[in-house]
Amino acid sequence: MSLVLGNFSFTEVSPRRYVITVAQSELRGVVEAVVKEESYLSSISAVDLPKDGKIELNYIFWSVKHKAALVIKVLVNRENPVVPSISDIVPGATKSEVETYDLMGVVFEGNKNLRRGFMVPEDVVAKGVYPLRKDSGV
Amino acid sequence: MRGAGMGAKAIRYSPWVMHFNAGACNGCDIEVLAALTPFFDPERLGVKLAPNPRHADVIIVTGALNKKAAERLRRLYDQTPSPKFVIACGACAISGGVFTDSYPVISRADKVVPVDVYVPGCPPRPEAIIYGIKKLLDKLGGHLESSAR
Amino acid sequence: MVIVEIPIGPQHPALHEPIMLKVKTDGEEVVEVAVTTGYNHRGIEKLLEKNSWIRGMYIAGRVCGICNAVHTQTYVQGVEKLMGVEPTPRANYIRTMVMELERIHSHMLICAVMAEIVGFDTLFMLMMRDRERVMYLKELITGSRVHADIHVLGGVKRDVDEVRRARILDELRKIEERLKYYKKVYESDYTLIRRLSEVGRISKSDAIRLSVVGPTLRASGVKSDVRFDDPYAAYSEIPFNVEYRDEGDSWARMMVRLDEALESVNIVRYTVEKLPQGPAVPKTIPRAAKPGEVISRVEAPRGELLYHIVSTGGSNPYRVKIRTPSFLNILNTESTYLGHRLADVPVIFASYDPCISCTERVVVVDEKSGRKAYVSLKELARGG
Repeated sequence: MSLVLGNFSFTEVSPRRYVITVAQSELRGVVEAVVKEESYLSSISAVDLPKDGKIELNYIFWSVKHKAALVIKVLVNRENPVVPSISDIVPGATKSEVETYDLMGVVFEGNKNLRRGFMVPEDVVAKGVYPLRKDSGV
Repeated sequence: MRGAGMGAKAIRYSPWVMHFNAGACNGCDIEVLAALTPFFDPERLGVKLAPNPRHADVIIVTGALNKKAAERLRRLYDQTPSPKFVIACGACAISGGVFTDSYPVISRADKVVPVDVYVPGCPPRPEAIIYGIKKLLDKLGGHLESSAR
Repeated sequence: MVIVEIPIGPQHPALHEPIMLKVKTDGEEVVEVAVTTGYNHRGIEKLLEKNSWIRGMYIAGRVCGICNAVHTQTYVQGVEKLMGVEPTPRANYIRTMVMELERIHSHMLICAVMAEIVGFDTLFMLMMRDRERVMYLKELITGSRVHADIHVLGGVKRDVDEVRRARILDELRKIEERLKYYKKVYESDYTLIRRLSEVGRISKSDAIRLSVVGPTLRASGVKSDVRFDDPYAAYSEIPFNVEYRDEGDSWARMMVRLDEALESVNIVRYTVEKLPQGPAVPKTIPRAAKPGEVISRVEAPRGELLYHIVSTGGSNPYRVKIRTPSFLNILNTESTYLGHRLADVPVIFASYDPCISCTERVVVVDEKSGRKAYVSLKELARGG
């Protein structure tokens, strides 16, 4: 089973859960297609994969129209994790991006609110580590 | 006990309680709130909720002492006029509870402010919180035993 | 006109999203609101990675004390999927019962706090009194007033017997009667209507754009409820209505909650009456999960609660992402305060149900002199 939105085809992995893996350059395009389907951004979930040297970003949308969770997976480089921000397309993404930056260190290019200490205490910020990375040592 | 003297005796019939959430899960907080409503009726002991540290005599601290909140707690404690007493309410404020080893928490209220009474539980029942306050008042020179009649 | 910045908080954090609202006002009018967080961050996601699947259940429950059973449910149903275990029907019904009782007490709490904020103290005290009945029921079923901790992997920790069922039904009758009365008060009281309606309005399209969830979303006319759209536990077998309204203001949000609480009474009654036969407490508990990932969603009292659990096998989770409803509802609604009066800020804030208890305060900073004065949120709401 799959769900096709514009040029993008989502694969059903379990009931009401659709997943697509895209490159960084396509991210904004997919998000624009998803937002047209009455979707709100549930969460941005980042998973650290130190063995592959990557961080996996999961943009989890819930589509009110399709009654399904649409998950967009993007892999970014762990050493220099930069992705374009989607906060101008989905205003609700702003704070999720700030949280992900603070805890995982992914830079969302174009989000002006990014700062450390949004949640993390100052002594951890001073060490310059991102607590949710596997090698943060906190 | 600090501040136990004439001033401390003055508050034993009407302690005003301020509640501070220093990184709690809200479990203790709703029980503190429930303890201060008429169903459990702490006003029979003269206990009243103070909205403001400058009016408070007793601070009830809940939660695992998040580092940011701990600074606030210290500031609130300094703003409270003497005599002042602190009740650590719930497992987290006493020992850190399930959050003991986590990076953003200090996990003990008595590392930040001097604590007079510990009320254990996750969360403590409202009766336990009132009992804790009552224990404190007893220490200040007898409460109900000598004066209720 | 001097623009004055008024920080509200950080006394009362909601869930693990603690709050300080920095409100900038021009005279009485709010021109900017910025939310500051971090006062209640407890590093739970990291803590879950460090602990086993079973310990994680209790840590997940302690994300929030008000909606602890739904947090445990979200975690447990995700982990159950990874481990390949199914709870028995009876266990599912008992879980649903506890979660719905939690919804009733949570909605009663916020309606009470809202009454207190607008200065209707009698209603606050009355609602808190009747809320004790719900707490009593929670204690009757789970053994604890607040932290239920009734879930275990594959079932529940204790069963509900015949004596308890009769008592639950008896108490429910009383709770329903009181809830109907409070709904009437919220519908007809002049002060409440004047203070709440037309305040903090969110239109239907804005609600989706801002990614708000739960009663806040439903009060803006979007009929979206996880229990209905993405059923879990026993909800696929239970008939219920999704309550929603079109007004989109603070009053509509409170009314949606009261309607939902009444609906929850019916759900609890249904689960008690139709409780399936069979075992509820599992004999063995699995300890290791298969590799994989799962997105687990539950309708918490405040809206959609989401856990993203990644497993690489073994006894610990690899990554757990928790997104609580208040994170979206509070942080994404900064714009809805604009143009309202300062006294409306607490009303709008409370209408998102950030679980405020009554001790949050406000620091008023006069920018010119740097003088600080403490005012309670309640005094502020009364124009203090």
